Amino acid sequence: MMKKLLIFLILVVGIFTFTQPGLTAEKSITVGFPMYLSGGGAVFGKPSAEGAKMLVKEVNDAGGVLGRKIELLVRDCKGSPEEATRVATEMISKDNIDFLVGGLTSSQGLALSEVSKQEEILYIAPISKVATMTEPPRFHKYVFRAACNSKTEGRSAAVLTAKKPWKRIATIGPDYSYGHSVTGAFVPMLKKLKPEVEIVHQAWPKLGESDYMPFINVVMASKPEAVFSTLWGGHFITFAKQASPLGFFEKYGFVSAGEAGCLEAIKGAGEDMPAAIISNAYDTFYYPDTAWHRDWVARSKAFTGETYPSSWLGTGYDAMKFLVEAIKKAGTTDTDDVIKALEGLTIDSSVGKLTMRAKDHQAARGQYWGTLTKVPEYPFLILKPVEYISAEELME
Amino acid sequence: MGIGFDASFVFIQLLNGLTNAMFIFLIASGLSIIFGVLRILNFAHGSLYMLGAYMTHQCVSFFINSPGRFWLAVLIAPLTVALLGGVIERTLLRRLYRHEELIQLLFTYALVLILSDFARFLWGVDQLSVSRPPILKGAVEIFGQYFPKYNIFIILLGPCIAFFFWLLMLRTRWGRMIRAAALDRETLGALGVNVDRLFTVVFIIGSWLAALGGALVAPVTTIRPGMDVEIIINAFIVVVIGGMGSFWGTFWGAMIVGPVYAMGILVFPRLSIIFIYVIMILILITRPWGLLGRPLER
Repeated sequence: MMKKLLIFLILVVGIFTFTQPGLTAEKSITVGFPMYLSGGGAVFGKPSAEGAKMLVKEVNDAGGVLGRKIELLVRDCKGSPEEATRVATEMISKDNIDFLVGGLTSSQGLALSEVSKQEEILYIAPISKVATMTEPPRFHKYVFRAACNSKTEGRSAAVLTAKKPWKRIATIGPDYSYGHSVTGAFVPMLKKLKPEVEIVHQAWPKLGESDYMPFINVVMASKPEAVFSTLWGGHFITFAKQASPLGFFEKYGFVSAGEAGCLEAIKGAGEDMPAAIISNAYDTFYYPDTAWHRDWVARSKAFTGETYPSSWLGTGYDAMKFLVEAIKKAGTTDTDDVIKALEGLTIDSSVGKLTMRAKDHQAARGQYWGTLTKVPEYPFLILKPVEYISAEELME
Repeated sequence: MGIGFDASFVFIQLLNGLTNAMFIFLIASGLSIIFGVLRILNFAHGSLYMLGAYMTHQCVSFFINSPGRFWLAVLIAPLTVALLGGVIERTLLRRLYRHEELIQLLFTYALVLILSDFARFLWGVDQLSVSRPPILKGAVEIFGQYFPKYNIFIILLGPCIAFFFWLLMLRTRWGRMIRAAALDRETLGALGVNVDRLFTVVFIIGSWLAALGGALVAPVTTIRPGMDVEIIINAFIVVVIGGMGSFWGTFWGAMIVGPVYAMGILVFPRLSIIFIYVIMILILITRPWGLLGRPLER
């Protein structure tokens, strides 16, 4: 009886083992992708995960890398660093992932970087911007960032602001690591470029503040000529809806970091989106009008089935592409070899040629900046004129 | 930071605080009524507020060609959420009254998660926006400063709703029963009042107030996942300061929290949020039952 049972068990296990695709062939390369998929940031997390899936599909359709398929495990890690840590650790211990890509908020990036250091697994941050992640003492060999960082974002805003005639500047930003690091990069750069500038007020509403009116009033009381903001996503929309009846955006110049110029924010705000403000975006499907960008937009339209592809698709796509190209270059999935291959690697990304710097594992990535303008072609505002501000001369 | 404060800016700041106070009052009053009668700390109250905002967006989109779409939405959206509240009370909450508080708390927390997934399933994760009704667009000039018309409307509406409810509580049979239930529900039951039905009605009223808050806040904020949890903390603070279960306590609690927060931003921008917690701690130490609450027996 016992023997029969044993034979039966072996048969069952055998059937399951050999009928599973992938196991008969070479084992696939597994990448864990924890992402903010539920809660306030999900509007950006979802397209980022879609971008990662798009790259994986392209690679697998072309036969994979090193003859192996890529297997992407996308998991929801909500908005908190604790949850990101938990999900990543689980994927490392249970799913035996080979590489880690993901996380959205700055604090999630820092948390996942810590996980990668402890677990000695290669980690690429597609979105998290806080500069300290790739600076000593937090920097370590396992962490890479494909996104632009808070320093280059703040500094590029300063470059744009310095060109304007404004002398009295107020700042407003969410009171947490991202807001402080972007504003902290903006102010000194602006003072360096234009010493006569005076910072008349700095407002720090808490992250997720629902009532910006008291802050807006104090900013107005400080009589600025222009306001620099690091409110992002829904926070910016809420702010804009409350500020616009006061004529805020007509009275003062407004420079907004935090991708207020991305399609999601613009569509989300609808008719409440202020025109004529200066802002940035990871990608703009309408610019630049070059062969490689047209190709990128066409492919992302085909993959997502959307008429106007998201500005955030490229974040997941580029991070995954860095990983795949590095594996290809290394000729192995050995972590140390892939790390070496990633250092200094240049890829064809969603924003053109993009290089991962060897010295701080930070992609030399800039962003599109422009002025929100109403045009007849689209039912929403677009950045026009828009330019890609390169990060290279803004980085240390 | 070297800002000379004109009196006009201070006054506007006070109005800003009052606007916020009215929103918190609407949400906290429902929380407070439900606690007063059902003795349940409803964590999911913020979820009803969020659903109110989402439903408002839904109605506004549905009546997109009607000029009064916002007002229609304010009328309809809270009613649908109130109905949902009634169903939740009847089918789920009802089974929990006999259990200890911890179980009830865990259950309402589970409701938060379920309702947020429900909203995500129906409306996705995109940030939605509702515009101000045309008549309340723009701003009026007050002492040389501008203040949005919509906010003035909210400041005026808040006390009207409070007064209306107070009258309901004072003059109607249902109001008297609700007040009696808050005092002693066992005796009320013994007197032959259908306490089960009363509980359902109270939960429906509480849900309606939360959803009305969500409907009215829709034009000044972004409707998005996560707004349920953001509001609940403020509502709890107000209820604690005003007194659990006390209607006017909630009103005055909100009238304190809103302006204090706004003025704090004017005076100590970096520490503004602390003032509210300091007030709450002081109240908890000196008058744990809140400004206008009554000490709990048992």
